[in-house]
Amino acid sequence: MRCQIIIAATFWSVCVDSRKIRGISLSYKRFYRERKSFLCIDGSRMVPFEQVNDDYCDCEDGSDEPGTAACPNGRFYCTNLGFRPHYIPSSRVNDGICDCCDTSDEYNSLTWCLNSCRNLGQRERADLEGRMRTLDEGLRLKQQLIEEGVHIWREKQTQLIELQQVAEDLQVKLEEHRRRKNTADRLREQTLMALEAEDNGPRRQNRTITSIFHQLDSNNDGSITVDEVQAKVAYVEDEERILSEDEAVALLGGGHQMDLTMFQHMLWNNLRSGDSIKIKGTHGALVGLVDEDPNIKAAGSAAERAAADLKKVEEAFETVNMEISDLTKKLTIDYGADREYLFMNNQCYQLKVYEYTYTLCPFNQVTQKDVSGTEVSLGTRAICGFPTTHLASD
Amino acid sequence: MVPALVLWLAVCLSGTWAVDRGNFKTCDQSAFCKRQRALKPGQSPYRALLETMELTNTRLTLQLINDNNKVRLLLELYRLQGNMTRVKINELKPLKPRFEVPDVLIQEPPTEPLSLLSKDENGVVLSLGAESQRVIVSAQPFRLDIMEGHEVLMSLNSRGLLAFEHLRMRKDTQADPEAEKKEEADPANQAEETAKDDEEKVEDGMWEETFKSHSDSKPNGPSSISLDFSLPGVEHVYGIPEHADTLKLKTTDGGEPYRLYNLDVFQYELYNPMALYGAVPVMLAHNAQRTTGIFWLNAAETWVDISSNTAGKTVFGKMLDYVQGSSETPQTDVRWISESGIIDVFIMLGPTPYDVFSQYASLTGTQAFPPLAGLAYHQCRWNYNDQEDVQSVDVGFDQHDIPYDFIWLDIEHTDGKRYFTWDPHKFATPKDMLEALMVKKRKMVAIVDPHIKVDSNYKIHNEIRSRGFYVKNKDGGDYEGWCWPGNAGYPDFTNPEMRSWWASMFAYDQYEGSMKNLYTWNDMNEPSVFNGPEVTMHKDAMHGAWENRDVHNLYGFYVQMATAEGLIQRSGGVERPFVLTRAFFAGSQRYGAVWTGDNAAEWEHLKISIPMCLSLGLVGISLCGADVGGFFKTPSSELLVRWYQTGAYQPFFRAHAHLDTPRREPWLFGPENTALIREVVRQRYALLPYWYQLFHHAYHTGHPVMRPLWVEYPQDSATFAMDNQFLIGRDLLVHPVTEEGARGVTAYLPGKGEVWFDVHTFQKHNGAQNLYIPVTMSSIPVFQRGGSIIPRKVRVRRSSSCMENDPYTLYVALGPQRAAEGELYIDDSHTFNFEKKEFIHRRLSFANNILSSINLAPDAQYSTQSWIERILILGASKPSKVTLKTSDGQERQVEFEFDSSMSVLTLRKPGMNAGADWTVALQ
Repeated sequence: MRCQIIIAATFWSVCVDSRKIRGISLSYKRFYRERKSFLCIDGSRMVPFEQVNDDYCDCEDGSDEPGTAACPNGRFYCTNLGFRPHYIPSSRVNDGICDCCDTSDEYNSLTWCLNSCRNLGQRERADLEGRMRTLDEGLRLKQQLIEEGVHIWREKQTQLIELQQVAEDLQVKLEEHRRRKNTADRLREQTLMALEAEDNGPRRQNRTITSIFHQLDSNNDGSITVDEVQAKVAYVEDEERILSEDEAVALLGGGHQMDLTMFQHMLWNNLRSGDSIKIKGTHGALVGLVDEDPNIKAAGSAAERAAADLKKVEEAFETVNMEISDLTKKLTIDYGADREYLFMNNQCYQLKVYEYTYTLCPFNQVTQKDVSGTEVSLGTRAICGFPTTHLASD
Repeated sequence: MVPALVLWLAVCLSGTWAVDRGNFKTCDQSAFCKRQRALKPGQSPYRALLETMELTNTRLTLQLINDNNKVRLLLELYRLQGNMTRVKINELKPLKPRFEVPDVLIQEPPTEPLSLLSKDENGVVLSLGAESQRVIVSAQPFRLDIMEGHEVLMSLNSRGLLAFEHLRMRKDTQADPEAEKKEEADPANQAEETAKDDEEKVEDGMWEETFKSHSDSKPNGPSSISLDFSLPGVEHVYGIPEHADTLKLKTTDGGEPYRLYNLDVFQYELYNPMALYGAVPVMLAHNAQRTTGIFWLNAAETWVDISSNTAGKTVFGKMLDYVQGSSETPQTDVRWISESGIIDVFIMLGPTPYDVFSQYASLTGTQAFPPLAGLAYHQCRWNYNDQEDVQSVDVGFDQHDIPYDFIWLDIEHTDGKRYFTWDPHKFATPKDMLEALMVKKRKMVAIVDPHIKVDSNYKIHNEIRSRGFYVKNKDGGDYEGWCWPGNAGYPDFTNPEMRSWWASMFAYDQYEGSMKNLYTWNDMNEPSVFNGPEVTMHKDAMHGAWENRDVHNLYGFYVQMATAEGLIQRSGGVERPFVLTRAFFAGSQRYGAVWTGDNAAEWEHLKISIPMCLSLGLVGISLCGADVGGFFKTPSSELLVRWYQTGAYQPFFRAHAHLDTPRREPWLFGPENTALIREVVRQRYALLPYWYQLFHHAYHTGHPVMRPLWVEYPQDSATFAMDNQFLIGRDLLVHPVTEEGARGVTAYLPGKGEVWFDVHTFQKHNGAQNLYIPVTMSSIPVFQRGGSIIPRKVRVRRSSSCMENDPYTLYVALGPQRAAEGELYIDDSHTFNFEKKEFIHRRLSFANNILSSINLAPDAQYSTQSWIERILILGASKPSKVTLKTSDGQERQVEFEFDSSMSVLTLRKPGMNAGADWTVALQ
């Protein structure tokens, strides 16, 4: 006990001479100028100067014990030369845990602390430099992305304007085609009506039979021969094969020639039904073909062509409009102040967390997939408002 | 997985905020309870056969016969040292042995001589040693009366409710033809047999019982026992935890009896006698003259009925009785019913409350002396998600300058609920985590539950299975039930080989990732079986030769015993263990801490934490606490703050929260609430020397640390039912604020002629008054008794071990005689070396203006760096001079300050070592 008191006394006497007040910062030094007494910083009380840092709390505000753990509300200043200085609560002074990197908080404990300020400082500077580099790099990348974004943006804008132009053109075309189709439809109707008015069935049919007969009668000698049949007629199932002479003879009713009258009663019937033989280059039954009046045929195909053309234009118009709305939608999304996130559009990123794989498609959707393959959507259009700094470290 | 679980729980929890009573039996649904309770008080069929009496020096034996069925019982009566009487009743010749509870008594209780005072055909009178205590054995009907002078202290079977269902052969389909034949062949017994047959009507539930979809096969048939006790002059009985009920037990007439059957009750209800997680079959009876106790040593399902002849009377009625000198003395009658085993009852005759505590401690042992850190603040939640989370919570405490000692990990830290393992992703490097905590002088608790995942890739399971250590089902296979890991086995902890194997699993080389700052929490050890009857194990499951029916309430006790042993062994017997358990039995105090299970964030739950822990303290379990903040639901910040303020003044101080609740670390409720919580946690840390000293005392004496007022003021009937305030030791009175929006509380300060000092303002108040105290959110009404000295360490640091060498401040509160006494106990705070006399124990006393420190243990050796930095003397007058005298004869003046408004004298930096002899004289 006596020993302790003596040691303590020596400690004081030494300290009083060239007192360096423990645990204060330079800016507080003026409060601790050596005088006979010490005024608590809150002004609440005056104590003898010996009671500063004597390991007993006298001031309400803890200011008389900046270097010990005596005051419950005190604070201790770690100078941390080589690193950042900072305050710690007094309760961390001599508690066996190294808090200040300069070891100044454990000046009277069994715990041995290593001064790590230099290392920490170096590390922090390196870290800072690294961070600066990363930041620079990030900013550079960001600039690139912004440029890229501007480029893409412009491209898309141009595309949009072009598309809108195309749409306008198509609109004009569309109206033109609608008009044409109406005209063609009207023409066909008129033709049909006119035809029906002059129509008397048998004459028309005879005319047709005669016309087919003349078609088959290549040399126009008034009768169809085996050669002529072989040249013009084929089986429906196998159009390529040329009929044999026997087959041709059979079609000619067993003879080698056939005149119009016989044709009308025999071969015509076969040709008209179209289920076994046909005229080469035609499609089966002759009725349509032979029934077609050239005028009607012309008017009909004109109307059909006009309808087909209209449909094509309509489809094109629709496609263009869809593209326009798609593009407009994309252009209204917030891609950041400088459109730096625009490049993420149409990209997807994956993250594996334990048994889950998360897929993030920015501006589109986020999904979670577990090992068993069950996929859950976690929402759409994720990440708007990414903090800009993130990108720098990416 | 975790999100899915949360969702699942959210679905499960929503809308079901109260216990589903239908999951748990009423007495009527428990066949033996129903049978027993159907017996009404009246003439007992039992007769003592005095001719069979044998009296040795220490023991009286006597046969009892049931005149209805002629079955004979054997009564054993012992006089035990320390003013106790033990009464054992078993069948004289049971068909097979009946279960007698092992391992709970710390030794075969030493006996004292019994002597015969008189004997006639009506009975026997025995002397119970000194104090003119006698026991009267009446022959017909059989009853026991314990007397002191002319006063009856307690009567057994006075209401004729002794009922002993003897073991029998099954008479219906499974009857043994051999036995039948034998009975017929013995004509001498014929008359008796006829009588027996009458008695042995097979009732429902005797040989089989079904509850909900669970059937209990009951191969041994009916085996229940019952006995009644009358307590003349007694109106207040306490104990038989665990129930969420008032401190003073209520009468059960017309309602359900108190039930003791360890159960995992989901969202338990308050103020009712339903069984909870633990069971201590000990009841204390108290009146102004005497305190007695009944220890019913039986581990089977038990029901306790309480009735009272004054229960229905109004205060006015009682006064009228008093004025008119009514002849009827108040009396409480108690009846114990257990499903199996024997009657083995210890009657503790006091006469003071402390005598009863000591008597009970001499039977079952005292509170384990926890490491100091165990008394500090514990931060828990289901769950801290991963190592990063643990680290950030740790940092959060430092950032907000709130001390804590332990951070806890619940079940999610394991690899798929396989205890002794770590989740490979979330807790990939547990040693790094523990190392980081160790640098901060902090510790961790990880949960180890007794249900073991059935998984052939799990080492623990394979070992238990291959060693045959699992509890078996009734067909002899390993018993399996559903719990956290899914299908699980339950190790047979009643088997000592199993326990020693279990203990060996805590060795550092077995429990991978464990370090010396990792401690253990045993939850779900009722045991909880999600798909079992009443969420527990089937009664016909087999623990070796015994059914779960016989040993049920011991399971949790054994789990904690084996775990604590493991923690001791891993350190080579050096370090004190810290193990928290949810289930418990008589004797569990020897192994660690207990908490009140899954409470809820409600004001009523905050209130009930007081009687629940007081009741546990009365039966030896001092290290008790409730989840601060409430486990289920989310507390308002007001409730949370109030709960911290209450919990900081209860023995085991741990915040805990359900997985489904928002985070609630102390700094998440705004700077004001953070400051309030910081302040109260700091108050706790400052007071740790006092808590530690009290637990050291409890370890030696078994006296409760948190005490009802009546224990200290046994003659003050105003305190008898009080459970909204309590004492810590003798010297601190705490009246927590447990009302929402409270603006004031009325605290009762006991002790006529005594004084109490507000610990915050040092204002002095007289005893024996109701004191209204206006409160704000920062108020915690706590008073120090005049006449006491309390040591504190007011330099609160990050954790208790950071404060090891810090100086003490002594708070000397002068009593009316201007005197005070206290103690100071110091040791290394975590090893068993204190048992090798390595400690400092000093008496501090103030009298005649001299404060002195006297060595209470001159043969003990320990040195401390701690010193006395400040002495506050409350209620002092201003001295002219203060002189410190140390043991080497040196004298020195001590500076002081005197605050005349509160009469507080502060001695500045006397500076002596805390372990030294010294005196301080005021002149």
